[in-house]
Amino acid sequence: MAPLRTLRFLAAGAVWALAISASPVLAEDAPTGEQIFALCTQCHGSVGQGNVAVAAPPISGMDEWYVAKQLRKYQTGARGKHAADHEGLKMRPMVRFLKTDAWVDNVAAHVAGLPRHTPEATLIGGDSERGKGLYGPCAACHGQAGEGVQATNGAPLVGLSDWYLYSSIEKFKAGIRGSDPLDTDGAVMRGMAMILVDDQAMKDVIAHIMTFSN
Amino acid sequence: MLEAFMLQASSYAADIDFVVNLVGVLVGFWFFLCSGVFFYFIFRYRAKDGVKAEWITGEVKSQKNWVFYPHLLVLVCDVFILAAAIRVWVDVKQVIPEENTPVRIVSQQWAWTFVHPGPDGELDTPDDITKIDELHLETNRVYRYELSSLDVMHDFSVPVFRLKQDAIPGRIIQGWFKPTMAGEFDVQCAEMCGIGHGLMPARVYVESPEQHAMWMAQHAPKSLAAITAP
Ligand code: HEC
Ligand code: HEC
Ligand SMILES: [Cu+2]
Repeated sequence: MAPLRTLRFLAAGAVWALAISASPVLAEDAPTGEQIFALCTQCHGSVGQGNVAVAAPPISGMDEWYVAKQLRKYQTGARGKHAADHEGLKMRPMVRFLKTDAWVDNVAAHVAGLPRHTPEATLIGGDSERGKGLYGPCAACHGQAGEGVQATNGAPLVGLSDWYLYSSIEKFKAGIRGSDPLDTDGAVMRGMAMILVDDQAMKDVIAHIMTFSN
Repeated sequence: MLEAFMLQASSYAADIDFVVNLVGVLVGFWFFLCSGVFFYFIFRYRAKDGVKAEWITGEVKSQKNWVFYPHLLVLVCDVFILAAAIRVWVDVKQVIPEENTPVRIVSQQWAWTFVHPGPDGELDTPDDITKIDELHLETNRVYRYELSSLDVMHDFSVPVFRLKQDAIPGRIIQGWFKPTMAGEFDVQCAEMCGIGHGLMPARVYVESPEQHAMWMAQHAPKSLAAITAP
């Protein structure tokens, strides 16, 4: 484990150095997605499996369009710029490191190509049977099996950890996410989050979403 | 001297530069004088035929005087430095001018949240304006900041103000500054705070009172705008 860690650390360092020395000329040929991903592993884990300790969700195997879109939202401040979005504020500065569109596209493609993570349940008290009913309207935008629907900008939900699903829905409900004027599809989701009127409804629907991973 | 490298954009920037310059001049004087004396002695007493090297223990009064008198003079210099430094320290860090406008600064990994008091000049009222990584100020107004941290230690540093203050989790640290020059300036985090430390720059916008009033009107919280709209 230790040598692997060191290697990862060195790799991350190398990409940092690249970023710092990136002149306009260098920016044209961006590093590969794998090289850039070395930075992301610091929080999202070595294979993008997420790390609850730093509130970083699993991202491996997420659709490329969705990853790229979120990275661009962080860049423009459409996401992660609310004073109460403490986790988003941690992610936001990381995209300052992606110098050009090519960097965003490369790393998004790499993330999408990683094998999807199978999350473990950490929330208790959710009833997946009741959640199935509640999930009905969600399927229109997120797909029957949470696979995501690009046409509606609906995020893929399969593979996400329950703690992240919970905090995301909470943020939508509180207007911490999806309330920026630039975040038009976040605003759509805000309205939908209101359907989940209480804590129990949130847990139930999350319990159902977690069944997609198995 | 220092303003050639970095603008002086706060009321106390020149005072702090004065102390830095004073230390530089006094220490510089002794540095060059001592170096000169050393090099002179090294040259004057270099190896010569027929002269044996000598071991000096430094107990003879005439030899001790070479240390004793300069050391007294250096202590006199220290008194000047201390007097100047304490005067500036009390002014900058100990006494907050009575008439002031509060502003809340919250640091976290890796962002600065600035809560501006809005037109009423008071925090925790509905017209407060919260911004991430953007601090808007008015020229020639005294601001009292309330600095805190949500996670680890950070340090709120505005080089052109000559202001640098640690933020410590669990504490609300108060201090003040008075911008004197309109413009857009850097805020840096000056305390290593994790992987995003170098990626958490912010900006201070110092505006004329008219411009600042306009900014406040444009950024009034939405709910408030709805209430006051005709
Ligand atoms: C300092 C830790 C950190 C680093 C480094 C980091 N992230 Fe994140 N990332 C986070 C956190 C925390 C969140 C969750 C934000 C939230 O809860 O809204 C997040 C969220 C995301 C999301 C949104 C996931 C979703 O389901 O909507 C994507 C995509 C993402 N990160 C990609 C990346 C990529 C690509 C990199 C490397 C360039 C990266 N992150 C580097 C901490 C980090
Ligand atoms: C009208 C379409 C629509 C419906 C219906 C909808 N959503 Fe969404 N949802 C979205 C969009 C669009 C996003 C992506 C927002 C963004 O880009 O930040 C999203 C994002 C999310 C996210 C965050 C995913 C992530 O990776 O960060 C969760 C969790 C979520 N939705 C849960 C639900 C649940 C649960 C329901 C049913 C109660 C639901 N959604 C219904 C459109 C919808
Ligand atoms: Cu910091």
